[in-house]
Order: sequence, then C-alpha cells, then structure tokens
Amino acid sequence: MALLEVKDLRTSFRTEDGIVKAVDGVSFSVEKGQTLGIVGESGSGKSVTCLTIMGLNARKNTISSGEALWKGKDLLTAKPSELRQIRGDDMSMIFQDPMTSLNPVHTIGKQLVEAVQLHRDVTTRVARARALELLKAVGIPKAETRIDDYPHQFSGGMRQRVMIAMALINDPDLLIADEPTTALDVTTQAQILNLMKRLQEDFGSAIIMITHDLGVVAETADDVVVMYAAKVVEHADVSDLFNRPQHPYTWGLMGSLPRLETDTERLVQIPGQPPSLLRPPNGCRFHPRCPYVMGVCRTTEPPLEPTEHDPEHLQACHLDQETKNREAAKLLESTMAEAG
Amino acid sequence: MEVRGDELLIVEDVKKYFPITRGVIFQKAIAQVQAVDGVSFSLRAGETLGIVGESGCGKSTLARCIVRLLDTTAGRIVFDGRDVTNLSRMAMRPIRREMTMIFQDPYASLNPRKRVGFIIGEPLEIHKLGTPGEVKTRVQELLEVVGLNPEHYNRFPHEFSGGQRQRIGVARALAVNPKLIVCDEPVSALDVSVQAQILNLLKDLQDDFGLTYVFIAHDLNVVRHISDRVMVMYLGQVSEVASRDDLYREPKHPYTGALLSAVPIPNPELGRQREAIVLEGDVPSPVNPPSACRFHPRCPRFVEGHCDVEEPPLYPFGDGHVAKCHYPLERWPMTAEEMRRRTTTAREEPVEA
Repeated sequence: MALLEVKDLRTSFRTEDGIVKAVDGVSFSVEKGQTLGIVGESGSGKSVTCLTIMGLNARKNTISSGEALWKGKDLLTAKPSELRQIRGDDMSMIFQDPMTSLNPVHTIGKQLVEAVQLHRDVTTRVARARALELLKAVGIPKAETRIDDYPHQFSGGMRQRVMIAMALINDPDLLIADEPTTALDVTTQAQILNLMKRLQEDFGSAIIMITHDLGVVAETADDVVVMYAAKVVEHADVSDLFNRPQHPYTWGLMGSLPRLETDTERLVQIPGQPPSLLRPPNGCRFHPRCPYVMGVCRTTEPPLEPTEHDPEHLQACHLDQETKNREAAKLLESTMAEAG
Repeated sequence: MEVRGDELLIVEDVKKYFPITRGVIFQKAIAQVQAVDGVSFSLRAGETLGIVGESGCGKSTLARCIVRLLDTTAGRIVFDGRDVTNLSRMAMRPIRREMTMIFQDPYASLNPRKRVGFIIGEPLEIHKLGTPGEVKTRVQELLEVVGLNPEHYNRFPHEFSGGQRQRIGVARALAVNPKLIVCDEPVSALDVSVQAQILNLLKDLQDDFGLTYVFIAHDLNVVRHISDRVMVMYLGQVSEVASRDDLYREPKHPYTGALLSAVPIPNPELGRQREAIVLEGDVPSPVNPPSACRFHPRCPRFVEGHCDVEEPPLYPFGDGHVAKCHYPLERWPMTAEEMRRRTTTAREEPVEA
C-alpha cells in the first residue's frame, strides 16, 4: 500500500467573483523513501494540493472532494483532532518563507520543544535534548547556545534549517516541502538540498517537493507531476520526463529555461500567461498558449492517459504520438547540444 | 584602469558605506555597513555587463550608485565622458535621460493610482519631450514595442499580470531613448515561462536600439543568457570579472566555482553525477567583514597565514579576465575534493591599477 494515495482531489474556493477551482482532479501516490516533485508556475494549484492534504485550508469557503488516503485512512474526512495527531508527527511540512513561518516572540528552542511535546509524552528536558540533536543534524553551528536565540537572530538559510529541524523532529514518514529553497541564495539552496537528501537517507522519509524550479526537481525527485491551471498535465519518472517529455507545456517549461551548460541565442517562450481559474478555457486548458493547438483541443478536454512506450508515464494531450516524439527529440537536441 | 576610449560607463573604486546610528536626537554613527567597497569596472556602448552575487553582496546598492539614486561615499563614476559622481540634482537632470532603470518588483514599482499611459509618459513630460499629443503617440508606440496592446493606454497597473507589468516597466525605461539601462533583477519575480518572454524582449530591444545594459541578477543561468561580460561580487567587492564564456567555462575564483556548481541542472543524468561544491556557513556581515580576502572563512582552499593576512589583488588571467584570489582554480569543472587540493602556488604579480 502506498504511504499516501491521492485520488481525484478537488478543491474550490468561494470568492466574491465566483468559485475558483484551485485543484481540479489531481491524483498521485507517494511510496516510502521516495521523492515526488510537483512542478508548476504560480497559481497552478501545487501548494493548494498539499494544503488540502494536510487539512490546512481555511474551513470557511473551501469545498474539497476526492480522497487522500494516508496509510489507508482518508484525510479529507478525518476529524480535526485526528488530523492534529497526524500533522507534525507522521506528516510534516516545510513552508516556503522562513522569515514568516517561525513565531518571532518565542525562542526557537521553545518552538521545537513544543513540537515534540504536542505529540510525545516526554519531559521538557528530553524534548530539549531532542531539539538540540536535530539542530545539530541540520548543521546549525554552536547549537547549544543558538537554541535559546530568537528567530530574528538567524539568517534566512539558518531559519530554513530550523524549519527543517522542526519538521523532522518527530521522524515523520512524509515531509511536504513547499518551495523550501525559493527564498534562498544558490549556495544556501545547495546546502539545504544536500541536507534534505542526507536526512532522507538517514530517516527514510518520503518527500513531496513542490517547486517551480525544474533544476531542483531534476536533482531531487524520483517521480514528477507537472501541473498547469489546477490540473495534472504530465506525470512520469524523472528521467523519462526529462528525456521524453510528452506535453507541450512541459516542452515550453524546459525550452524557456536559460541553461548554464548550453548556449541558446533565443529562449523558447510560452506566449501569453496562465489563465484565470475563475473562468478556465474550454477543452484543454493550455490551448490558448499552445503552439500545436488543433480543433479538438478547443472543445474536448484531453484525459490523463498512459503513453505508448510506458504505462507509468501519464500525459494529457491530444497530439499524436509521432508529433510528440519528434518534438521531444527536437527539444532534447537543442538543450543537450553542448552538454553531450 | 585601462581606458579604451569607447566606454560608456566607467566606475572607479566606488564605495558606499551606510552608517549605523545610535541615539534619537543626537545621532552618532557607531558602525558602518560596507555595502559596496571599492568596485571598478567599465562598460562599452552596446555591451551587457551581468552582475551576480548572493543577497547582501551589494549589487543593488551598486546599481543605485551608478544611476545616482544614492550618493557614493568615495570613488568616481564617469558616464559618457562626464564625471557624474558629484553633480547636483539640477546638473544631473539632463543626464537622467541617458540612463534609466528597470526595477525588480513589477508590483511595487508602478504607481497603482496612475494609468499606464501616464506612468510611461511621465519621463517624457519631466524632460519636456513633446506636446501632450506627441507624448500619447510615443507611449502607444512604446506599448507596441514591448508587446502590449496600445489600446491599454488607459488601464491601471492592477489590470495587468506580473509579466505585463514588467513590460510596462521596460517601456517606461525606454521612453526617453536612454543609452544605458540598469536592470536590477528584472525577472526574478516572474514565472519561468514569463521570464523567458522578458529576457527575449530585452535582447530584441538591445539589437533594435543599441542599448547598453547593466544586468543584475542572482540567477547565474539568466546572467549567462543575457550578458557579454560577467562580474561576480562577494560582500561588496568584485571577486571575478570575465567575458561570459571565460567565466562559465574557466572560473578562477573558488567562490565563482562554488556558485556555478550550486546551480541545479535541469537534467537528471547530468545533475546527479555531478557533486555540488557546498560552501560552509553563511555570508558574513558587511558591518564587520573578514580580514584580507573576504571569502576566506568559507573558502575550500583557504591558506592560513596568507589569505587571512594579505588581501589578494585582482590578478589578471588574460583577455580582461581578473580574479581576486591568491590560489586560483587550475581547471574547471572540479569536485569539492579537487578544489581543496590546490596545486597552484601563490600568485606574485599584481594587476596594475
């Protein structure tokens, strides 16, 4: 049984302008020790997917449906008290912004101890020892003295480490990392990604890595879900996705990246901008921006189907396989030209 | 500095210190943030200089000094053959037509209460370039140039998406036909697909109007894509300057090497077989920077008694490639282990000032 199995998850928000379908039929599963990458641009619904799984959306004006089976138990229908037990213990989350996700009026030691004592019946002394152990594990220098510092005394990278320490303090089986390195500099990002990789090896946790950075996904994920306008457009194994991308949006994302290892005079650009989820386009949601658009794309929504070469590689596009293979090969050639 | 005669912009030993004060009425400077500490470079017309560095390295402060939004503490800025370092506001005004700026945040850099037509046309009005009718025609022309619908003249900024707003920012910077545009992280707030649109636009505009760019970013991929030459900054100082190809193919400074190796590669095979050179610790505070070479506390090839005692000059490596390191990298790429095992001996000859 998969650790987490999400089936046809839908989340809508009631707003003054109407109903926004922020997540519209998303399915995936995560196995133990595996890393799932969710990629997409802002507003594609990747964060909302995870907030829904964690039960962290505001109850008011939110409508969720579908299933999120955590070790067989549906999280969407679970009682708040049950969710509280799972959250922070079996399943924890690292948020994007390390500057605002820690409580500024408590020392980090106190916040870490609280996280332990919420779930374990231990003395403060034991909890504090555990907190110290974790701070050392995430590489905070002089942890014995820093544990009594306040968040403002830490730099951004250090705060993100504290967040990771807090997320890992109860040995979670699943760690959801929502853009954990977006607010950080590249050298700090490398430190944090290394740390997460090492901790995953040590603790065997599964990770859901939400990011807009294809580079981060390529280096960390085993399986990748590409989201566009609240829907999954492609889902594949990481090397399959990068070597045989099947969806025009994925091609666009890959082509629009300036790369260190290759020279491109001109970047491929996806024209236009992501659609409003208040009134998503009919048919395929990518059709207004798609260079390969056909008549059928405007009217019929493509289902998420396995590709011919691999039943595990899912994609939602009407284009015929021949065109896809040709375009994917062309893209690969242009981006790999110099890398060899 | 070697002067080639066709420089549009010469920056010489520019320093910008911000005082840290204590006291409410009698403010007393108790320390200084050395945001920019002795930066020199020159820029030819039509060239793009990329400036990279991590947050707090002084790249934005430098940009603000160049366009004189901040007064420099020391040093000289020569623009188009004229020393503009200490010009008064009035004397500076005609020069502001020649150099404009594009800002990072497309949400905060446009006045939400003004219409797009006014925002783009304001520089023209300030410099008294044309009658209201001419300004309107020019603004519509500009909207078209940056790929927006000229009929959107009367809309407000909130009616546009992030990418479109950045296009408005570009149109505003272009309005007065400047020679130099200083772009301060123009694409960092945008999604990748939109980022590509803006980068392509900036390149097209450079070809069409012969613009010169100072392009500041923390993303090494973006800088590589757009720049002719690249300058790497660390804690207010220049670590390395080289032509784009030299810098990315043969970085000499260990910091540049670490930066390059830290960039995730969007290719699972390539990305995973390579081992990133992970630097220890954080960037130190610019209030109290490390002695001698500012990079020495984090440097994998740190030599005690040399790097922390004697500040390295910018050693030349030919073709305008300079790096501020006593023990430059022998080759590239290299692993973290190879980087620690230095084979070069200390450099002797300093670069002539």
